[in-house]
Amino acid sequence: MSAIIEAHSLSKWFGEVMAINNLDLVIEPGVTGLLGPNGAGKSTFIKLALGLHGPSRGEVRVLGQPPRNNMGVLRRIGYCPEIDNFYDNTTGFEFVYWLNRYWGMGARAAAVKAEEACEMVRMTGRMHDPIEEYSKGMRQRIKIAQALAAHPELLFLDEPMNGLDPQGRDEMYSLIQQLGDAGLSVIVSSHILYEIERITDSVVLLYNGALIAQGRVRDIRELIDRHPHTIRIESPDPRPLAREFAGDPGIMIVEIERDAVIVRTQDPNGCYQKLNDLMLEGRLPIVSMECSDDSLQAVFDYLTK
Amino acid sequence: MNHDETSALLLRPEARPKRAGYVNAVMGSAAHAVTMIMRRKRFAMAAIIAFMPVLIPLALAFLSKAAFADEGNVIFVRLCEQLHMPVLAPLLALFFASMLVAEDIETQTIPYVLTRPLPRSAWVLGRFLAYLLVATTILGLSITMTFAASATLSKLSLTNTNDLLLLGHYILVALAALTAYGALAVFLGVFTKRPIVYGVLLLYGWQKIAMIIPGVVDFLTISKYVEALYPVLATQRNVVEVQTALGTFQKQIFAVSATRAVVMILLVTAVFLVSSIVAVRRREYGTGRAAGS
Repeated sequence: MSAIIEAHSLSKWFGEVMAINNLDLVIEPGVTGLLGPNGAGKSTFIKLALGLHGPSRGEVRVLGQPPRNNMGVLRRIGYCPEIDNFYDNTTGFEFVYWLNRYWGMGARAAAVKAEEACEMVRMTGRMHDPIEEYSKGMRQRIKIAQALAAHPELLFLDEPMNGLDPQGRDEMYSLIQQLGDAGLSVIVSSHILYEIERITDSVVLLYNGALIAQGRVRDIRELIDRHPHTIRIESPDPRPLAREFAGDPGIMIVEIERDAVIVRTQDPNGCYQKLNDLMLEGRLPIVSMECSDDSLQAVFDYLTK
Repeated sequence: MNHDETSALLLRPEARPKRAGYVNAVMGSAAHAVTMIMRRKRFAMAAIIAFMPVLIPLALAFLSKAAFADEGNVIFVRLCEQLHMPVLAPLLALFFASMLVAEDIETQTIPYVLTRPLPRSAWVLGRFLAYLLVATTILGLSITMTFAASATLSKLSLTNTNDLLLLGHYILVALAALTAYGALAVFLGVFTKRPIVYGVLLLYGWQKIAMIIPGVVDFLTISKYVEALYPVLATQRNVVEVQTALGTFQKQIFAVSATRAVVMILLVTAVFLVSSIVAVRRREYGTGRAAGS
């Protein structure tokens, strides 16, 4: 199976900011999650693969060729950017239609392909409405429609779940899975492991512009499970709350701040259950809680130590 | 649509459109740009401003009581040479052409365009053609309506061949002016963040100053070559730019022939457009910013 993307000693810097640092990476066909915290270099990597940026050093090849200003590569790829911007005063259909014209299609072909693409993302019923009236989920679908309209072999989706409500996310997971099942290679970037886990088992982890891991999601998940979860619980009276957790065998460390308790645990489910029970009993006031591991930052810190 | 139907739609490599020709790519870019320009409030505003000169001969014909009023041909020529070419042509260029490329950068829609198999030169040229079509239509109509309005006065007729040739001549000059001014405006849009400000300074500031400075600095203006294209016999020139005797003398010495003026206008247009295309091709437009600019 030949690689769809290959990066060799790839670096990209903007002034003094190193966005991609000496990256060696091979991505095979299929659905691949590009995972990393904000600022990891995911979007820059995608833009290098699309030819929007040129490498500062090294090279990137997409479908066997360098992508920058390469019409042969651009004909075979589709891109759904992270930005939520559209042309003014445009309907969803018109948006896809005009971008088809930029593809070089004639007026009739562009209209037919726009209709097909809108149908693929289930937007036919609303495609003649102004984009300003669309929900976030519908705008995402129209962005994907424009990327699919010319039957690409490789699709880049940059943070497609951003800003979507739970139902919109479910629809997006389902759509991406369908695209993968239909034989498309899809690169999906995200900073949330859970999202990628719902879509694919193949993942690339970027951190500070470098590759730190590549493989199956479950391997990453095991790493996370071995790594203690940190939960911050805000309370006006943190001491009695800390006492409740201190004797629990699943709890590794309990720290007390002025208005909060920080709990590090290897049994997050048990810890959340205990918090639920405490709130139901109503004995101890709890204002809010936050799991700092949600952002993957802790795992990346752990992997890069 | 169920899963199998979606798959069927996607798995059709034969359905992928064939490689597009360059002309098709230019036309696609131009068609979109025309639609975008015409949907903007700026379009209506520019059209209203451009049609204002039409009111002047009408006002003179129906409101003025002056016994020695100018004749229709004098009014028409004066409006063309003092309003349409030096004021309205640069204005339309700044209104429409300066934002042709800059707008996509500002609104962050540029990644959509640049990830299409569309040569960047086709994108810029298509947009420039769209501007030229819209601006020439507006200015051409304005000149034609001014001509018709001036025909309400004496010595200008809607049926006289010479008068109609005069009208055609000024429309062609307008096209030449819009071409050169538009290319400069595209260039400013690509290379500066405030193309309208720099455009106003260059086209309404520098051009006026250069035309009254004695010497040859006026060769560094577009209006020098546009003015060289005015119909010779129709020039009832009350050129306010040439204020000094020395200035008049030197302008006569360094007069430019119409042929050379056309060559210069084409050269200026080519230089600005090619520079813009090279810049757009070399730059890295990730989102809103251009890296390496």
